[in-house]
Amino acid sequence: MLEMNLQFFSHHKGGGSTANGRDSAGRRLGTKAADGSTVTSGSILYRQRGTHIYPGVNVMRGNDDTLFAKTDGVVRFERKGRDKRQVSVYPESEAAAR
Amino acid sequence: MIQAGFDYDNADRIIGFKLTGHADHSPYGSDIVCAAVSALSISTVNGLDSVASVQPIIAADQEDGGYLSVRMPPVDDYMQDRISQALLRSFQNGLLDVEKQYSDYIRVQ
Repeated sequence: MLEMNLQFFSHHKGGGSTANGRDSAGRRLGTKAADGSTVTSGSILYRQRGTHIYPGVNVMRGNDDTLFAKTDGVVRFERKGRDKRQVSVYPESEAAAR
Repeated sequence: MIQAGFDYDNADRIIGFKLTGHADHSPYGSDIVCAAVSALSISTVNGLDSVASVQPIIAADQEDGGYLSVRMPPVDDYMQDRISQALLRSFQNGLLDVEKQYSDYIRVQ
């Protein structure tokens, strides 16, 4: 005799496991110094993967594409060519003129 | 999809059947096609034993379900044979009726 099981021809609850379900922690990328803010030399301006934003005046690009200031000054996000953007740092005296 | 197959002898008597697969009509616990086929097949197997007093040879995947094979032993007693065939034919008709309405989920050969 068989035990009556109305789910005998139904996929069982487990239905198999999934190999998904993992994700890495967020890398907190993006802007770290706003346009017009005053920064000191070495301050990180923008964290990125690849060059969403290019280094401009007084700005260097690290080996992980992070952009940081080479001198003290005021941050300016600017256009670069037709469709690119760059970030520059101008000394306070010069920034006022821009 | 559930596949149902029947085997016959030379006298067109049903001597066995096999059901494989899952209905996949609805999630576990609410799959009415699965429930119908499960009820028909299990009650037929149990009826062969309790009503016809015939012990068929059963192979079933009790763990994951989705597989049931039944082979009839030789039946010498006339009444047992008549009752067994009646149960098996009734079971076959039941499956065919289910197939008419849910042909995407069960195939009877």
